[in-house]
Amino acid sequence: MKSFKIIMVALMVLSSTALIAQIKNAQTETVKIFGNCDMCKTAIETAGNIKNTASVDWNKDSQMAEITFDSKKSNRDEILKRIALAGYDNDHYLAPDNAYAQLSECCKYERQKKEPAMAMSLSKMEMEMHESKMEMNMTSSENHANMLMPEMKESNSLEIVFDTYFAISDALVKTNAVTASAKASELLNAIKVLKIETFKTADQAALTKVLPSLVADAKGISESKDIVKQRSKNMHEILAYYSSHEPLYFQYCPMQDANWLSKEKAIKNPYYGSQMLSCGSTVETIEHNN
Amino acid sequence: MKKLILVLLFLGTFSLQAQNIVRYDLYVRDTLVNFSGKERHAIAVNGQIPMPTLTFTEGDIAEIYVHNELDEETSLHWHGLFLPNKEDGVPYLTQMPIPPHTVHKYTFPIIQHGTHWYHSHFGLQEQIGMYGSMILNKRTDDKTFRKGIDDLPTIPIILSEWTDIKPENVHRMLHNASDWFAIKKGTTQSYGEAIKTGYFKIKLHNEWKRMLAMDVSDVYYEKFLINGKSENEDTSLKGLKAGDKVRLRISNGGASSYFWLTYAGGKITVVANDGNDLEPVDVDRMLIAVSETYDVVVTIPADDTAFEFLATSEDRIKSASIYLGTGIKQLTSPLPKLKYFEGMEMMNGMMKMNGDLDQMGMNMSMQQMDMNVVMYPEITGPAANGKGMKMDKDDEEHSGHKMEQMNGMKMSEDMYKSNELSDITTLNYAMLKSPTVTTLPEDAPIKELHFTLTGNMSRYVWSLDNKVISETDKILIKKGEKVRITMYNNSMMRHPMHLHGHDFRLLNGEGEYAPLKNVVDIMPMETDVIEFEANVEGDWFFHCHILYHMMSGMGRVFSYENQEPNPLIPNPALALRKLKGDDRAFHLMAENDFATNGNDGQLMIQSTRWSIGTEWRLGYNDMHGYETETHIGRYIGKMQWLMPFVGFDWRYRKLGHNEFEENLFGQKNTKDNRSLVSLGVAYTLPMLVVAQAEIFTDGNVRLQFERNDIPLTQRLRMNLMWNTDKEYMAGLRYIATRNLGVTTHYDSDMGFGIGAMLNY
Repeated sequence: MKSFKIIMVALMVLSSTALIAQIKNAQTETVKIFGNCDMCKTAIETAGNIKNTASVDWNKDSQMAEITFDSKKSNRDEILKRIALAGYDNDHYLAPDNAYAQLSECCKYERQKKEPAMAMSLSKMEMEMHESKMEMNMTSSENHANMLMPEMKESNSLEIVFDTYFAISDALVKTNAVTASAKASELLNAIKVLKIETFKTADQAALTKVLPSLVADAKGISESKDIVKQRSKNMHEILAYYSSHEPLYFQYCPMQDANWLSKEKAIKNPYYGSQMLSCGSTVETIEHNN
Repeated sequence: MKKLILVLLFLGTFSLQAQNIVRYDLYVRDTLVNFSGKERHAIAVNGQIPMPTLTFTEGDIAEIYVHNELDEETSLHWHGLFLPNKEDGVPYLTQMPIPPHTVHKYTFPIIQHGTHWYHSHFGLQEQIGMYGSMILNKRTDDKTFRKGIDDLPTIPIILSEWTDIKPENVHRMLHNASDWFAIKKGTTQSYGEAIKTGYFKIKLHNEWKRMLAMDVSDVYYEKFLINGKSENEDTSLKGLKAGDKVRLRISNGGASSYFWLTYAGGKITVVANDGNDLEPVDVDRMLIAVSETYDVVVTIPADDTAFEFLATSEDRIKSASIYLGTGIKQLTSPLPKLKYFEGMEMMNGMMKMNGDLDQMGMNMSMQQMDMNVVMYPEITGPAANGKGMKMDKDDEEHSGHKMEQMNGMKMSEDMYKSNELSDITTLNYAMLKSPTVTTLPEDAPIKELHFTLTGNMSRYVWSLDNKVISETDKILIKKGEKVRITMYNNSMMRHPMHLHGHDFRLLNGEGEYAPLKNVVDIMPMETDVIEFEANVEGDWFFHCHILYHMMSGMGRVFSYENQEPNPLIPNPALALRKLKGDDRAFHLMAENDFATNGNDGQLMIQSTRWSIGTEWRLGYNDMHGYETETHIGRYIGKMQWLMPFVGFDWRYRKLGHNEFEENLFGQKNTKDNRSLVSLGVAYTLPMLVVAQAEIFTDGNVRLQFERNDIPLTQRLRMNLMWNTDKEYMAGLRYIATRNLGVTTHYDSDMGFGIGAMLNY
């Protein structure tokens, strides 16, 4: 495990520099953006990112975001306004009430800067919008992970590997074989485009060691539409190097005698999904050290 | 002694008032601006866009010196002001335009109060920066002074828009029915999109009724602006606290954009319109028509927070914001995108086959019924669009028809009453009420006038009673008359009709308290009645304030009988000719396809009624031949579907020895070397197919059917042609940029080719 931690830190540095390199006249600022969970992270970054112009990296724990932008094409306020319109209060903008109301339950962070005087009653419009959004959410919930992808491609290829890993895990947790299979194909593609020679020698060695089994497992999942077969794959072999500021949890399923990585401390067992969702334990917390 | 003092005192106050002259110097200069990332030419006054805010108090005398430092002429119109006719600033009507590099002085007493604005009335200068706020304050001792409104801190706001395309070019493109703006907006409403979203039948029906893609505005703008910026922090008012009220004096200086106004801090209280006080009325949002002014009061609900006041263009593509208060910015929700296909379905329903609008027994007036609500997701529910469509299809059908069933009948007025369909209160004209009695002298003779607003989107002809300004005489009115105008909008666009020099009463059901206005926005199918007292001599313009509609001739001139000649118009005949020149202008269109099998192209100049066009097909060798056809025709009727024409054909080709071609009627023709004159007629059939019948001087007859620019996708167009000379053509064009396309076509004469199309 230790060696992976080292790789993780190393790669994090790599990935962040790669990110900035795409944006010309880059200027970086750190701002506070309120939010709760990983869904928030996705939503915030999706709202803020513009290809080759602006990129947002939000940290769930500190609720701080590093925003990098082309100072000739964009500015801090413009990016933060877009994020606020997606429902997230920040240092400079407060989200419209109905944008906040449309956030999914897990994203409903506590609004701090909101003056109580401002609590306006939800008008019918907002209610309707809310309902419609809910509907949309329902129809597109499985697309949700899909929506992640375009943004991720902009940041860097390794991050796609990480994110597809978690998407697979998520799909397995939700007992969604089709999505799991699709995500696994994406993971394969992501690995294909990974340029190993660009990493440091030590990292290269580690990567070449884990990649074959990673590819094999991903292939297995992608080729099957049967959730049981998918789950029989050794999730713990699919190793992730995560470039996040947040801790990761290395978790263990005693029934399968297998491990997996998770972004959440709470157990959501990908091997059994809804059958035995909370079975398992956290073996190790991989803290990110700044 | 006492008497003397009294008299002296009297004189003193009198002279004091007379001396209250407020002078402004306006330096009009060419400038370069960068609103969108591209440098463009614009016109700045005193170095700024918008022009500086001019402030007066009722009773002042205005002296405004216009220093025209442009290389072209200009003139300034004081919108909504009562003033002597020669100060009104309409070139060739109330004055000759101000020549380049000269100074012109406008002077007039300020005899009213309220929010007004001023702009260039010359050419299309208004589009590129020549607009500004004009604030006429009430005297504090005015009887109508309203505590809590007239003493509030005030921010003048002028709304406008910016396009990177030169306005002359915008105007030309509109006349050529260019769909470039629709492409930029993403509102092509192509067959591809229609099929994908399940609206194929509606699209077919739409083209069957000979309509082009529908939209609520004509021009794509790069930016919308509040006081010249997209994002404004108000710095004029410091230290606003929770509970403070602010009065916004809003003028819509946009050349062709209506704006939705919404506020992050709650309700908007409307207190005045077009410079006239109103009984305060609370609304959630309002649509401000081109050239209207509204005074609104908003409350700052919290400390340390700046609340967004949002102006969104009617097509909801973009917006501009101003933040009121200081601190963290509280945003308001953007307006959801329009459901265009729903709008198309609505248009299909109201359009008769002959191009008239079908009121279906509804009496529409005063913006209360808004057919556009079918496109507003916030009122009529979100669009069933794209991928979600399949799943929601049943649901959509359901809700779409539910309403019809609910009301028992097919169509009903309640379907379009925005304020009854939702909890969102939208301002409409029926809600406007003057705080004072506005009735006109009862004994005055009444002059009744009726106008039907007419228009034709595909040829961009806008008119009253199907006549443009140059086709009509001035309408004579008498001083002391009450002029009552009934207008019915039989066109597919809304029109903000503006009267110069007078306020009119808008007969909106408030009786004696009918509001005073100088702009009335009339939606399609609406009938509105206005009346005004003819009390100032002169020639007064009455026109649609959408700049490109006005320049196309949508207006009239009211002229007082037996009035004094205007000293600023030394040659009335010349001036009149120049005035009529605007809508008599011809607009050029040209394109050429440089293809592997030859050159295909056309050149056309068209005016309101006339069309002169040449088409050519030039092969690369004698076998393929060279031919041109020139048609000079005149459009007939309101919809201009019919065009008789005279044609000139010339062709040279070597087919081989004694080869003849035979047409469908058995008439023979070598086609090799001919130059002929023809008589013909073209008629636009349903599905926008142009049928053309032509008889040539050699006795040959030709019938041709042609359909151009079928929108397959956002940018892909198809052309089809067949005629009785057994010629046919099918082609595809991909619109790459505004002036460049990639084409492929098959032609019975020249065979298959691919090429690059340049168009202007």
